[in-house]
Amino acid sequence: MNRIARWIDERTGLSGPVRGFFNYPVPKYVHKNLLYTLGGLTAITFLLQVVTGILLVFYYDPSTEGAYNSVDYITYQVPLGWLVRGVHHYGSSAMVILAALHMLRTYFFSTYKKPREINWMTGVLLLFLVLVFSFTGYLLPWDQKGYWATKVGSEIAGSVPWIGPTLMQLMRGGADLGQATLSRFYATHAMLLPALVGILIVAHIFQLRFHGMAPAITESAKRNSKKFVPFFPHWVVTDAVFGLGILAVLVYFSWSQGAPLDFPADPTSSNFVPRPEWYFLFYFQALKYFPGALEPVATVAIPLFIFGTMIALPFVDRGEERRPWKKPITTGVAIAYTVIILWLTVIAW
Amino acid sequence: MADNELPPLDDEKGQWDTEAVSRRKVLGALFWGVAGLGGVATLGTAGRFLVGNALEPKAQRWVELGTAADFPTGKVQRHVYSITVADAWRDSERRGVLYAYTDDNEEFVVLDGTCTHLGCSVQWQEDADHFACPCHAGFFTREGEVVSGPPPRPLQRVDAKVENGIVKVLV
Repeated sequence: MNRIARWIDERTGLSGPVRGFFNYPVPKYVHKNLLYTLGGLTAITFLLQVVTGILLVFYYDPSTEGAYNSVDYITYQVPLGWLVRGVHHYGSSAMVILAALHMLRTYFFSTYKKPREINWMTGVLLLFLVLVFSFTGYLLPWDQKGYWATKVGSEIAGSVPWIGPTLMQLMRGGADLGQATLSRFYATHAMLLPALVGILIVAHIFQLRFHGMAPAITESAKRNSKKFVPFFPHWVVTDAVFGLGILAVLVYFSWSQGAPLDFPADPTSSNFVPRPEWYFLFYFQALKYFPGALEPVATVAIPLFIFGTMIALPFVDRGEERRPWKKPITTGVAIAYTVIILWLTVIAW
Repeated sequence: MADNELPPLDDEKGQWDTEAVSRRKVLGALFWGVAGLGGVATLGTAGRFLVGNALEPKAQRWVELGTAADFPTGKVQRHVYSITVADAWRDSERRGVLYAYTDDNEEFVVLDGTCTHLGCSVQWQEDADHFACPCHAGFFTREGEVVSGPPPRPLQRVDAKVENGIVKVLV
C-alpha cells in the first residue's frame, strides 16, 4: 500500500471492509453460469438510472406549465439531451426486464428457502418499487401518455372499496390531476424512491454476502462448489462487460427510436387512447375482463394476491428440494404466471 | 438489547463503570421513550404535511353552456368547458368534456365525458348511438346507462338548469 492509501486507511479503517468486499470468494459454479449476472446487471442499470436521472433534474421543470417544454428542451436543444433522456427512458424497461429475469432465476433455483427468506422479500419489494418508479416517472413529461396513464392509475386506486376515493385524492394531491399531482410524483420519483431503493439494494447485497450463494443444485455445479474465484476482478469484469453491452443497447434505442414525447397533456381530448408502458400492458388488458362490481377484483384483489403470494412463498415452500424439475407445483405456477402475462401483453400490443 | 451482558473490556482499555451500568434499564427505557416521542411527533407532522390539502372537496361552480334554444333536439352534443381554478399555489385552467342532450330545449341531460371505469374519455358515436370508451371497451347509452363492458356505474350526470334561456351546468 502506498503512503497516501495508508494515511487514509489509518484514519478511516476502510481497507479491511473494502478488501473483504472485493476479495469475496465466488464459487466456481456461480462464476461459470451467466444467469448469476442478472442481479449485478440490475444494479448497474439502477446506477445508470441514478446518473441520468440526476442529469435530467438539472434541466427539468416540475410544473404543469413548464414540464412539457423543459422535457422538449432536453430532448431537442440540450447537447446530448436526447441521449441522456433516451438512456433514462429505455433504462426503465431494461430495469424491469432484468429485475424480472433475476427474480425468475432465483425462483427456479429455489434460493428463497431458509435462511434466505428475507433476501427474497427485499427482492420482491425492490421489484414492486421498480414498478412504482416507472409509474411515477412517466407522468413527469406532462404529455398525453403520462397524464392519462396517471389518471387511469389513480382511478385504479380509487376503485379500492371504502377508502378508494380518499386514496385517489391523496395520490393526486387533490380532486383532479394538477400541479399537486406532478409535485407529488416528482418528489416520489426523484427523492423518496431513490433513497428507499438504494437502502434496500444495500440490504439485499448485505444479505447475499451474509449467507453466501445458495447451494448448487445440479451435480456438475456441485462438483464446482469447492473452488472459488475472487469477486474482483473475476466476477466484476463479467458484470462490467455485460453492463457495457446493456448501455450500448440503450444508446442504440435512444439513437434509433428516441425517447417518445407525446402531445402536451390535454384533459379534453377524446380521441387519445391511453396506453401504458409495455410492461403494464398485461394488466391494462386484464382490466377489460372484470366488468361492473367485479372491478375491485382486478384492481385490488389480484395485485394483492400476486404480491402476497410472492412474499409468502418462502414460508409455503419449505421442503429441502431445490431442483425445479423435481418441484412440479412451483415450477408450474411460475410458468403459468409467465405465460399468462406474456399472452395478455401480446393481446394488448 | 439492554438485557444483554456487556462484553468484557481489555485491561489496557479500562473497566465498565458498574455504578452507571446498574442504571442501564432505566436509561434504556428513557431512551426508547424519548426516541418514540420524537419519532411519533416527526411522523405525525410528516403525515399531516404530506396529506396537505389533498382531501379538500373539488370546488364547483355554475358554467354557461349556451343558449337553450340553440341546442339541436334529439342529438348528443359535445361541449368543452374551461374555468380558472386554484390549483395548489397557481391558478390554472380546468378543462373538461361534457355531453348534452335535449328533447325539448327545456329539460337537459348533461353527462360528464369521463368513463366511470378508470377515468378515460368516452367518445359519442352517432352512428352506433352510444358512448364508447376506448381504453377497456365500455359502452353507454345516450342517457349514460351502461350497455356493456367493465364500467361499474352510469356516466356521471352533471347538474344542469336553464336560467333566462341560458343552459348552466355545475362543474
